[in-house]
Amino acid sequence: MTRFEVVRTGASASGAEPATQRNVSHRGGEANPSAKALQEKFASAVERVDVIWGETVVYVDSTAVHEAIRWLHNDPSQQYDFLSDITAVEYRDAEVPIEVVWHLRSLPYRRFLRIKSQLQKGKPLEIDSVWDIYKSADWLERECFDMFGIRFVGHPDLRRILMWESYKEGYPLRKDFPLRGRFSRSEQLRQALAQNPEARYSMEELTIADAFAELPQDMRDRLSKGERTGE
Amino acid sequence: MARAYFPVLMLLGFVVMNGFIIIGISALTIRPRPTPVKQQAYESGVPALGDARERFSVRFYLVAILFIIFDIETVFMIPWAVYYKQLSCFVPLVNDACPVGNISFFGLGEMLVFMLILLVGFVYVWKKGALQWD
Amino acid sequence: MGLTAPPEHRTVSYAPESQEGWVTTRMDFLVNWARANSLWPMPFGTACCAIEFMATAASDFDLARFGMERMSFSPRQADVLICAGRVPFKLAPIIRRIWQQMPQPKWAISMGACASTGGMFDNYAVVQGIDTIIPVDVYVPGCPPRPEGLIYGIRMLQEKVKNERSSDVGTRDEMEPDPTSQLYIPPSVIDELGEPFGNSVNQTRSGL
Repeated sequence: MTRFEVVRTGASASGAEPATQRNVSHRGGEANPSAKALQEKFASAVERVDVIWGETVVYVDSTAVHEAIRWLHNDPSQQYDFLSDITAVEYRDAEVPIEVVWHLRSLPYRRFLRIKSQLQKGKPLEIDSVWDIYKSADWLERECFDMFGIRFVGHPDLRRILMWESYKEGYPLRKDFPLRGRFSRSEQLRQALAQNPEARYSMEELTIADAFAELPQDMRDRLSKGERTGE
Repeated sequence: MARAYFPVLMLLGFVVMNGFIIIGISALTIRPRPTPVKQQAYESGVPALGDARERFSVRFYLVAILFIIFDIETVFMIPWAVYYKQLSCFVPLVNDACPVGNISFFGLGEMLVFMLILLVGFVYVWKKGALQWD
Repeated sequence: MGLTAPPEHRTVSYAPESQEGWVTTRMDFLVNWARANSLWPMPFGTACCAIEFMATAASDFDLARFGMERMSFSPRQADVLICAGRVPFKLAPIIRRIWQQMPQPKWAISMGACASTGGMFDNYAVVQGIDTIIPVDVYVPGCPPRPEGLIYGIRMLQEKVKNERSSDVGTRDEMEPDPTSQLYIPPSVIDELGEPFGNSVNQTRSGL
């Protein structure tokens, strides 16, 4: 029986400690250089920069956040090409506004940045969608809309994703939403049994759907001529 | 010789009878209980959308038909191979060997002609692009 | 919804002594024995209980000795629907449709706390017990139930199957949900009936 040896290469070859960070302070750590770059470029829009447990958080004004994220994506010195998550937070204190959070990662530079934007509660919760920058924002923003009611302006298809589309009880993760929902159990069950997810699609739509515009040209030609199965 | 295949006939009869018994007893004893939802096609619990009958690409048919043709060619080669020794001899075999001086290429030539005809077809299929999947 | 049975079975007339002779009882015994020892499960596994179900089917606890090793993932060939795991409201019409598409004879086992009562998930998204959607024969408690627990539940189901009688004509009837049936209870009455148990109708506590 051959014996397999673990061959370590790279930084761990010298038998050094694994590269986990230790002694990370709660606040006041070293900030991501992108935070300073953002402050220089969008001086009026950046409200605050925090470093919490080694992760940089930048608070950006909600009207400018789309520009800022686009710049972070396009600029060669930033290159935040990976959107990890879009989520929202509603704090337990009623006067604190709702925050929308974007988690951005720069794979070439190996950086992590958290962008937060505050939405006041009395006003309609609307913010620009980053779908045109990151396509993965599609479902992430749908989830945010479903759970918090935040409308993303410019999103191609903003509808519920976790609850069923005709869910009428509200937005579940809001603080004023009761844990068990607003309707009685029998009413919830009746509405759930009456849901009809296929109602919005016709058969022709289902075969091709919105992805038609993204297909290569020769495939579009063949499909327009009526070919039903291709390779 | 045919007597050796009698058990096969018995097995065949048993299998067929078995099938009839299973379906027959079910048909006679069962009280059908159809409901509208039960009659619908199963599609993982959601209402079935659209027709299951789709048009398939013709290249599946091409692969099958080309296989049949060249497979039958191979099948024809088998009895020819079994009888090859006799076919390459002008006179009947003596002690399972061909007497000296009687070697003939009749058998070989015959099969080569057959294969040549099919080779023409093969080259045609190749040049026409029927062997390209895309 | 209330349920309806076919018209010829609407009134119950059950006099087993007059119907059961020796042949009928032996036929019942044979049919029930065959059904009980070859239950083909449809594993409607959604969560953690499905893992325990797989463990029960695996070698250490082995469902094959009960004739249940052939899982049927199509309801058409299944005898027993084993709902293992929590069922969200979005999944409710699907499990109902799959139940309705199973041919008779069929039984249902609700495996685990979530399938039986909603389990620890007393919230806006999880069905509080699949018996609100499909008729359940055996409930197996646990979170998740140990394989021995599930096997105990399956043995209980086998007992139930063996006690069925062909003279009881209404047993294998398909019951369809029907708002005009006599069993229908309007939602306001259901809400009243469920009142003391912290249902969301009068729920005043929220995050604020």
